[in-house]
Amino acid sequence: MIALGKMRGQNLILAILAALWVATIIGLSVLSPAMFNAGTVTNILQFSTILSLVALGQTLVILSGGAGIDLSIGGTVSLSAMLAMLAFKAGMPIVLVPPACILIGLALGAINGLLVTKLRILPLIATLGTLFIYSGTALAVTGGAAMSGVPAWMLAWGRGSISSLPLPFITIALPAFGIAGIVLLWTAWGRWIYAMGFNERSARLVGIPVDRVRLLIYMISGGLGGLGGLISLAWLGSGRPNIGQNLELESLTAAMLGGVAIVGGRGGVGGVLAAVLLLVTLKTGLLRLNVNTVWQVGVVGVLLIAVLIADRLTTHRR
Amino acid sequence: MGAPIAMAEPFLVAKGITKRFGALTALAGVDLEIRSGEVLALLGDNGAGKSTFIKVLAGAHAPSDGELLVEGRPVHFASPKDAAASGIATIFQELALSENLSIAENVFLGRELKRSVLGVPFLRRAEMKKRVEDLLVELDAHISDPTAAVGSLSGGQRQAVAICRALNLNARMVIMDEPTAALAVAETRKVLELTRRLAARGCAVVLISHNIADVFEVADRMVVFRRGRKVGERLRSETTPEEIVAFITGAHADVRALEKTK
Repeated sequence: MIALGKMRGQNLILAILAALWVATIIGLSVLSPAMFNAGTVTNILQFSTILSLVALGQTLVILSGGAGIDLSIGGTVSLSAMLAMLAFKAGMPIVLVPPACILIGLALGAINGLLVTKLRILPLIATLGTLFIYSGTALAVTGGAAMSGVPAWMLAWGRGSISSLPLPFITIALPAFGIAGIVLLWTAWGRWIYAMGFNERSARLVGIPVDRVRLLIYMISGGLGGLGGLISLAWLGSGRPNIGQNLELESLTAAMLGGVAIVGGRGGVGGVLAAVLLLVTLKTGLLRLNVNTVWQVGVVGVLLIAVLIADRLTTHRR
Repeated sequence: MGAPIAMAEPFLVAKGITKRFGALTALAGVDLEIRSGEVLALLGDNGAGKSTFIKVLAGAHAPSDGELLVEGRPVHFASPKDAAASGIATIFQELALSENLSIAENVFLGRELKRSVLGVPFLRRAEMKKRVEDLLVELDAHISDPTAAVGSLSGGQRQAVAICRALNLNARMVIMDEPTAALAVAETRKVLELTRRLAARGCAVVLISHNIADVFEVADRMVVFRRGRKVGERLRSETTPEEIVAFITGAHADVRALEKTK
């Protein structure tokens, strides 16, 4: 039962994002009419898949409060892909690569969760530390080289599409957002996440197992990172140690842009998916227009600030 | 209002409750009976021991000495959960509500009605909404929409939600810590009415307040704490605000006699 006021806020964010997205598409198609075709849609969704999964994990971590943030998520993506490929090279059957990616992701997430809930290290610091550990290890295991050898059946899934919708997007990303949305809105677990995100003390007083839920959420974030790593393998055909680079900041931007309050307890997953699509569309468009990468990053920053200002103004008026 | 209830069997009996924090004795041998359907007010200056006492009742502190009996059976509370299992609910000063959730969600938070589908606890919202609606009507709380966000409610309405929460947990005894401390006059009225209604339902109500006027309006019995000891106990019908103030400040003859023997 989302309160009416919050619903308005969420819908407002979605409306702003949709308007920006339409504006982006119109602007880009005026500047470069040839740009928009089925191939571009596939391309945008393909690039959106990993970011959307990672942004979903980031969103859950932030929503559940306690100054929650997962800066290590990019490192998790890289390291889960690299370790799974390494295990494959060492003789693990190839069919076990997908579950290995997910399990490694869950384990890396569990390390974050334990640092935060058991050792009471501030999430920003704990996951900054593990970011360096995970991404550093991903580079170290091969000395920075990519690992090839992904089998054809994985590539067929990773690169395949149905009516220009990429398979990983419709088989993994969309269901993940659907499940997360249902859990957040319609289950007791969802209510607990919102409650502990907004007022941790009261959540503890009513008997919500705050630490257990939080540990689980860091694990889920890691698991989604592992899925991202798996998709990178199936899409690119090789394990790349730097595949997760910048994902932590991009996922954070998507979550903020999608209306998730950095202090926790407010926001939803629909806005985050819309924000991911907007970000990737914008970046793809700017790339096609041969705009310097430096400016691409700047545009994303301006967008973030603009949406936050719009949100702040409407919150105050209410 | 509550005179005949004095004959009822006490819901909770405290015998010789003592609480020491290191060398400091916060409570010294407090005997107290709390009856169902009765509003009992705890009074006393800051540091008199009333907060420590309710923390013992609520399971937040284990007593150093003495025993608690609930309906005649000895109980040992290791945590507020144990106290809740014995039917004791505490409404904290800061209320422990989540402002981003609705009234119904707050009332059921942590104890949601759910339908398990493949192990996933889906909420039974219509039912929860109905239960809360009924409770709000029963309390005459003047809140029409249980799906409104708690963040939009006034201080008095939040007290009503917290009371609903306690009732929904089937609390037999409700402890209220300064429920009117930060409220406007009309709101204070409302909360005092709610307190009476809670007692009328058969709950034992323990109220901490600094406001003597409020206490005289709502309480059946008053107990005064001073320096960790129970120095006075009076039925409202048998005392005056002046006498209670004398107990609190230590000017009362009984208190002087007690403190001389110490």
